[in-house]
Amino acid sequence: MRKPSNVVYGFDERPPPLVTVLSGLQHVGAMSMYLLYPVLVARAVNAPPEVAASMVSLTLLAMAVGTLLQDFRFGPVGSGYLCQPIPSVVYLLPSLLAAKSGGLPLVFGMTIAAGLMEMAMSRVLRRLRPIFPPEIVGLVILLVGVATGLVGLRLVFGDSHHHDRSTESVELIEIVVGFITLAIMAGLNIWNRGYLRIFCVLIGMAVGYALAGALGILLPGDMEAIARAPAIALPSFSHVGWSFDPTLLLPFAVASVAATLKVMGNVTTLQKANDADWIRPGMTQVMGGVLADGLGTVVAGGIGAQGLNSSPTVVGLAAASGVLSRLVAVPVAAILAILAFLPKVGAVFYLMPRTVAAAALVFSSTFIIVNGIQVMTSRLLDTRKTVLIGLALLAGLAVDAEPSVLRFFPENWKAVLGTSLVLGTIVGLVLNLIFRMGVMRSQSLSIAPESMEPARIEEFLQESGEQWGARPDVIERAKFNLVQSIETIVESCEPEGPLEVNAIFDEFNVDIRVSYSGPLLELPDKRPTNEEIMETEDGHLRLAGFMLRRYADRVSAVHKAGRSTVTFHFDH
Amino acid sequence: MILTEQKVGNVNVIEVAGRVDSANAPKLQERAAAIFASGSGAVLLDLAKVEYISSAGFRSLLLLARQSKEVKSPFVLCGLTPKVRQLFDLGGFLDLLPVKATREEGIAAAQ
Repeated sequence: MRKPSNVVYGFDERPPPLVTVLSGLQHVGAMSMYLLYPVLVARAVNAPPEVAASMVSLTLLAMAVGTLLQDFRFGPVGSGYLCQPIPSVVYLLPSLLAAKSGGLPLVFGMTIAAGLMEMAMSRVLRRLRPIFPPEIVGLVILLVGVATGLVGLRLVFGDSHHHDRSTESVELIEIVVGFITLAIMAGLNIWNRGYLRIFCVLIGMAVGYALAGALGILLPGDMEAIARAPAIALPSFSHVGWSFDPTLLLPFAVASVAATLKVMGNVTTLQKANDADWIRPGMTQVMGGVLADGLGTVVAGGIGAQGLNSSPTVVGLAAASGVLSRLVAVPVAAILAILAFLPKVGAVFYLMPRTVAAAALVFSSTFIIVNGIQVMTSRLLDTRKTVLIGLALLAGLAVDAEPSVLRFFPENWKAVLGTSLVLGTIVGLVLNLIFRMGVMRSQSLSIAPESMEPARIEEFLQESGEQWGARPDVIERAKFNLVQSIETIVESCEPEGPLEVNAIFDEFNVDIRVSYSGPLLELPDKRPTNEEIMETEDGHLRLAGFMLRRYADRVSAVHKAGRSTVTFHFDH
Repeated sequence: MILTEQKVGNVNVIEVAGRVDSANAPKLQERAAAIFASGSGAVLLDLAKVEYISSAGFRSLLLLARQSKEVKSPFVLCGLTPKVRQLFDLGGFLDLLPVKATREEGIAAAQ
């Protein structure tokens, strides 16, 4: 592992106390904008401001616990990287469904269930990979983005799923404030760097809030309510209860899948950011991260807070500042815990003008949508994947545009399936399982030693990789190994007859097997010296063998009945 | 493999394009060795357009580095793509051979 030059303090380094505390403050600032989500859930059940403030306080407490669980390692729990959780939009959408059908106790009960599902998934992550190829991951992210944007737009323009605390129609001046807020967020993000960019949403919300106050949009009672809230108080648990509804298991299961995928992405990003020699995700930390994330959500549901999920925003903040030390988690958790005892924080979020909140949701959704598209297209798309993405996306959007597409389903199913995220994901998962049939997972090529063409060999692996939807970087490594191994075998082993190449793929592995009649290829685990490379006849061939061994994740070579087989294994 | 030559001051810039493997590495080595032997200055290999380099190619580079020391003429490499750089790293050549990021830096180092 080698620390990249742009990293000031790596994940296992100890920054000076002042740097640690200031970094912690920045993180809490960036995390605080998401406190809007528990408030939206409280508003959906028309809960009084005190209950919303308590939900915010308890969410802060859950975040403090989740931060320590995620950023350190306690046995199998925790990633050890700075990717602490926030109240997540992935749990906002099912939470709103649950709030509507069974009030806050159902939100908390289902949140616990979702956390437990995520914890269970963390143990079988490797086996789940074929079910969640990048096109499905990207699709889920895209649909989360679309749904987030729609929640924001509905706060302003309303619809049958109206979640706003008031039913009166929105005034034009409020819409203007919303647009100004959105413009500030976008402007700070596009034309700035550093802190203005990182805190653009928080600054936009603050300016929008102030503007609303100046224009008289805030009701006189609103400011009084903030002033009336006690300066320090223990969070109230009066609203906390738990109930469970199996029909809501599906949307929460989809949310826990989305949460799992986000943790995987965040931990991997931080592994890359901490190691200039990074090659592939370290699954132990990824699994620990998902386990901690699920546990954080169980804690959140248990104490009456909204579901949590590791935040790409804090990962981006850590990477941008170069302070990646996990010790930053200590002041983060401490500050979050202190804020939990200040009810005015919850009141401020509860009384935020709806168009300001909407601007934050719409702005955030743009990044989620584009991130989803990037993940979907990170691998080459063949006809199968194109049809899958198109149909699943259409199904997801159709239930929002035309809910009557579900008219033949029973009423309780309609409520669950009638969410773009749930229906789109389910259609995508089912199509993925169907379309996987008939994909050739093994490809063969015969190469005559006298007419060895490197371009043809590379083309063979490129085409195979495209059909499998394999990761381009893994295929690039496999290409180098295959060309170099055939070149070395032809030169040093003088094979009789053609070399048979067999490339085998399943979501976890790419295996390249080369078999030929002749002596076994030498694959030394020690590099030959420069003198040996330059002076001996086979020096550069042993160098090739050494590089082949190092470039693959595993190598095996067997010689049987005059025939040699060399297998290069690549983790995928 | 295609070699394109250009002289900048006393630096002979050889731009290498394509694949450097056992079939053509001797050609590259012979060309650069001839420059060293003629005493016509330093050699800068610009590898920005190299897609692949095999162990035979690395052997040629080691031989050229040794010859450059013998004739006391600088030998510098530049323009490694990330993929080729990874191969250099893998074979332990990044610390052995003088590698510069750009052609300009390479020329400055070779003068």
